[in-house]
Amino acid sequence: MTSLKRPTANDQSHLNLSSKVYVRSTKSGKVQKIVREVYLRQDIPCSSQICSNCRPPANAAGQVSPPVLSDKPAGTKAFPQGHYLVPDTNALLNAMDLFEQSSAFFDVIILQTVLEELRNRSLPLYNRLIGLTKSEDKRFYVFFNEFRLETYVAREQDESINDRNDRAVRQAVQWYNMHLAQVKSKRLPTVVMLTDDKGNIEKAKQDKVPAVTLRDYVGGLEDADRLLDMIAESRERGISRDKKAADFLYPEYFTMSKMMTGVKGGMLHQGIFNVSPYNYLEGSIKVPAFPKALLILGRDNINRAVDGDVVVVEVLPKDQWKEPSTKIIEEEAITKNENADGDEGEDLVTEKERRALQEEVKKTHTSSSEGRPQPTAKVVGIIKRNWRQYVGHIDQSSVGSAAKSGRKQDTVFLIPMDKKVPKIKLRTRQVGELLGKRILVTIDAWDRESRHPVGHFVRSLGELETKAAETEALLLEHDVQYRPFPKTVLDCLPKEGHDWKVPASTDDPGWKGREDLRGLLICSIDPVGCQDIDDALHARALPNGNFEVGVHIADVSHFVKPSNAMDNEASIRGTTVYLVDKRIDMLPMLLGTDLCSLKPYVERYAFSVLWELNQSADIVNVRFTKSVIKSREAFSYEQAQIRIDDDSQQDDLTKGMRTLLMLSKKLKQKRMDAGALSLSSPEVKVQMESETSDPIDVKTKELLDTNSLVEEFMLLANISVAGKIYEAFPQTAILRRHAAPPKTNFDELANQLKVKRGLELHVDSSRAVADSLDACRDPKEPFFNTLIRIMATRCMMSAEYFCAGTQAYPEFRHYGLASEIYTHFTSPIRRYADLCAHRQLAAAIDYEPMHPSVRSRGKLEAVCKNINVRHRNAQLAGRASIAYYVGQSLKGRVAEEEGFVMKIFSNGFVILVPRFGIEGLIRLRDLAETEPESVYDAENYTLKLSGSRDLTVELFQKVVVRISDAKDEATGKRGAKMELVKVI
Amino acid sequence: MPLDTSTYNLALLRVDGRRWNDLRRLHGQIRTQAAADGSSYLEMGNTKVMCVVTGPSESARRGGAGGGAGGPAASSSSSTATTPNGAEIAVTIVTGGFSTVDRKKRSRTDKRVQELQAGVAKALAGALHAHLYPRSTIAVSLHVLSQDGSLLACLVNASTLALVDAGVPMTDYLVACTAGSTSGHGAGDEGADPLLDLNGQEEQELPFLTLGTLGATDRVALLVCESRVQVGRLEGMMAVAADGCGHIRAALDRIVRDKGAQMVREGAIAKGESIGMDLD
Ligand SMILES: [Zn+2]
Repeated sequence: MTSLKRPTANDQSHLNLSSKVYVRSTKSGKVQKIVREVYLRQDIPCSSQICSNCRPPANAAGQVSPPVLSDKPAGTKAFPQGHYLVPDTNALLNAMDLFEQSSAFFDVIILQTVLEELRNRSLPLYNRLIGLTKSEDKRFYVFFNEFRLETYVAREQDESINDRNDRAVRQAVQWYNMHLAQVKSKRLPTVVMLTDDKGNIEKAKQDKVPAVTLRDYVGGLEDADRLLDMIAESRERGISRDKKAADFLYPEYFTMSKMMTGVKGGMLHQGIFNVSPYNYLEGSIKVPAFPKALLILGRDNINRAVDGDVVVVEVLPKDQWKEPSTKIIEEEAITKNENADGDEGEDLVTEKERRALQEEVKKTHTSSSEGRPQPTAKVVGIIKRNWRQYVGHIDQSSVGSAAKSGRKQDTVFLIPMDKKVPKIKLRTRQVGELLGKRILVTIDAWDRESRHPVGHFVRSLGELETKAAETEALLLEHDVQYRPFPKTVLDCLPKEGHDWKVPASTDDPGWKGREDLRGLLICSIDPVGCQDIDDALHARALPNGNFEVGVHIADVSHFVKPSNAMDNEASIRGTTVYLVDKRIDMLPMLLGTDLCSLKPYVERYAFSVLWELNQSADIVNVRFTKSVIKSREAFSYEQAQIRIDDDSQQDDLTKGMRTLLMLSKKLKQKRMDAGALSLSSPEVKVQMESETSDPIDVKTKELLDTNSLVEEFMLLANISVAGKIYEAFPQTAILRRHAAPPKTNFDELANQLKVKRGLELHVDSSRAVADSLDACRDPKEPFFNTLIRIMATRCMMSAEYFCAGTQAYPEFRHYGLASEIYTHFTSPIRRYADLCAHRQLAAAIDYEPMHPSVRSRGKLEAVCKNINVRHRNAQLAGRASIAYYVGQSLKGRVAEEEGFVMKIFSNGFVILVPRFGIEGLIRLRDLAETEPESVYDAENYTLKLSGSRDLTVELFQKVVVRISDAKDEATGKRGAKMELVKVI
Repeated sequence: MPLDTSTYNLALLRVDGRRWNDLRRLHGQIRTQAAADGSSYLEMGNTKVMCVVTGPSESARRGGAGGGAGGPAASSSSSTATTPNGAEIAVTIVTGGFSTVDRKKRSRTDKRVQELQAGVAKALAGALHAHLYPRSTIAVSLHVLSQDGSLLACLVNASTLALVDAGVPMTDYLVACTAGSTSGHGAGDEGADPLLDLNGQEEQELPFLTLGTLGATDRVALLVCESRVQVGRLEGMMAVAADGCGHIRAALDRIVRDKGAQMVREGAIAKGESIGMDLD
């Protein structure tokens, strides 16, 4: 009998072997034990340029990566010989912003132990750190200490993971110092451990390992005050925290496994937490189990969730169910005088908040005749925080008088611009400088004993209300990538720059597979001043009585090759963002406004869709081809309209445009017959003074026939392309869908229409919605129909990009356009989805082989997810920019305008002013010196006022408001302020 | 949890501390079951496989039909490969439920197991001198004790050892090894390093192939690639795998020679001319 046991001495491996054992629990609650091999080696270099003993490793191609750490690292008072930093995990968790500074923190050694821990604790921070290791001037080196024989540390019995990891860090620092000591050099840098953990520092002292706390280290740097503010708040007080367990203000979260079990069992529900824009103490959460959102009311129940977090909730007993709030509650008004310093001894819910809530409860009870209290829930745990960086300003009232001048650390409140985010507690030494500035902060933690989340300062954007600061704030708030394109991206541009031309010789490889369409009478129609011309059109009569119509789209995919730096950047940006006075491009200017742009009178590469349409605009056939075109003219919508209407113009180009217009009208009619919705959102245009770029006027956008001409053919092109790429790539085609909204979304609006106007809203199909919206007319008030359309639009789902393979065919449907299948193809200069569609179409017509990145479904799904978010953010940013400029254009002016009541609360109402496309909130207390008495009739959407002002306000009512420009004290935003003049 | 394969480029180290061209620790034994005609045990990293060979023995098939289209052989669950008028090679693989992390039992009729069986059987059919044993069966029975990547390669190598033990003549050692690429299919990273001998985590995250060669030559006897990989990277991966096969052949050869030397020492067999090998 032979034993299978391996004799240890016989191990022929030249490597030292260890194993790592993990225990993990899966989502289904199983516990798994994972054993991994670890090969310990001695050829992992220290990567210091002074060391001659280590040999840098080479990759398979034989390329050697040179040492990273400088041979003359910077010195400090404590380490005059120079130093390399070795941060531990906490240091990185608490102060990643510091490490990203360009003034300090060079030559940093990141240990594998730390990298692993950081990845488990926070993926975003891990990604930022990986970004840092790629930066050449920061000189961050990742040392794989767990794989090096001398620095590998085995976990001892009864040793906690954290203690073992701390020991591994100390061991690595120790080794580094000993290793560098072998080098004969006069100026030997010290390798210093950087930590926030007191225990770790003490142990380091015992072992004679150089170590310093983050605060002490930063304190010794120039610019210490600014840098100190960037250290997160949470950790330092860690030791004292356990003492006062009684002072917890919030309920404890459930453990992850308890939540998982609960969600699995259907007792708890998971979803994304949303805060009402009108009431910061009211949140809602949409969970798969119920058709309508659950309400979450009050601080206790919200339990430290912040807008956007993924949370788990528990439904409250039925006696705690309530109607959604009919009251506007603003954090600023209620917690105005809170002291940022003192949390201790206070109740979680302040007296005022409690009273406000009680009133709410009473209201709910009295109106119980109608009685439809809704299920409420409380947050019992957080699955994932979705904290980002927040822009805001410091609350003046939270600042002590002494703090403004001194260098003492002070605790203040930051009021975020986003009203849905709670005030953030901030400790800073530079209150004086930060007052009146727009600043960027991050939230570090929200512990049970702290009423408000605690955060730290990241950087200042500049003075409040300056255009630069406000624009940057707006971009940051909407997560728009606005930094200039890096060099790696610009390197991908054609070397000829603006001199690039379509090759003259048709034998040039650029012409391969392209059709010569230069002879066609093509023109483009765009808004005034458009520089990035994506599309151009032509039409001509065919001998058989049909028409040939072509839509020609800029051939961006010719210039942007898949997976190069430019493509990656564009896929991250996802879309071009249009602000009133600024455009943040998805692609570098050279391409967007010149080489790709289908400018008139020059030859350009294009991707053409060519149809044969009959007299009734039905498609006889369609084909797709890469082409070369020469646009004859670039019209604005107005110019094109004038040209078409002018009967004296009888040239072929104008005739072609007339054909296009005729066909577009037929196309539109067909779409409407199929049930396409004509929805509405208030669109305005800000006119700028060309010299000073100050806004001078606001106009509602005018819609001409030519707008719809272009739109119809773009829709037609998108639909044709969608069909083609789906046919070629049924799994990976990038498409766009618009889901039918759940019927319950329309409940509120349907009820409002019924009660106030006796109108019925049918929602069974898009056709029914379209028809009943058409019927929503008020003969006396033409705007009423638009108002209802605006409100109906808000009940809809948003359209989204998706990969064909992720949905069943019936789900492809575009509800709003009433099309079975749809994609975006016509704006590749400003939308990444279109660029993907171009590549797929090019492959579908065998123009070029499919690049793997456009073929991998996983990758495309990630692309879709990102561009969906970016698309939405771009829209929000654009709207916010218009709102800001509308405010600016009103500066020093007072205008009286008509408005309409869109929403009624028990203590205020929301008014839409069509002329400026803005919505404003009017609170009862703004109506008169003393707040008028009010009776709120929820069933009839009426608010009766008496006392200091006699008035009845109803939903859909027309009013006249005085609009002036005012600074909103709560958010520091300048915007339009409305006062009610009279009801009509 | 440890880092994933995306950190390779930070220091050119893989998730378990190896370089791109390092094999895992390889440990093998032959003649582990005295009662069997041939037997072996092989560990490649944490992938552990046991193999027992029975035969060549008289074929269970009645009538001795030569063609491959005959009815089910010894066991309906084994995969067989036949050489023209030679022995039939029947491969059975049993995977212990305990061999994977999630402890899921795979039945013998599982498609995945059948594919592995067929793969091993076909590769062996090309390497064995089966024509010497017409109308007989060589049964190769493999037991998977632990899985951590490169399973097919380990199965092939273990079979080779057991067949050597059983004394079945073959052209050369049939050895197999995996090779992967450091970045996924979608990434347009043309300079991605090829990797040798993937472990379980790498197999899950990266594209890879299994290559089997006949001993010292680079003659390909087996090539299986089930993940998407860019054509441009294929050549590098195959070169690395072929190189790895060379090293594995040397390791297997050492195992065989060591065992032979030990047996001579112990007097189990006489050192004589009948053994044409040089047992040092
Ligand atoms: Zn060194």
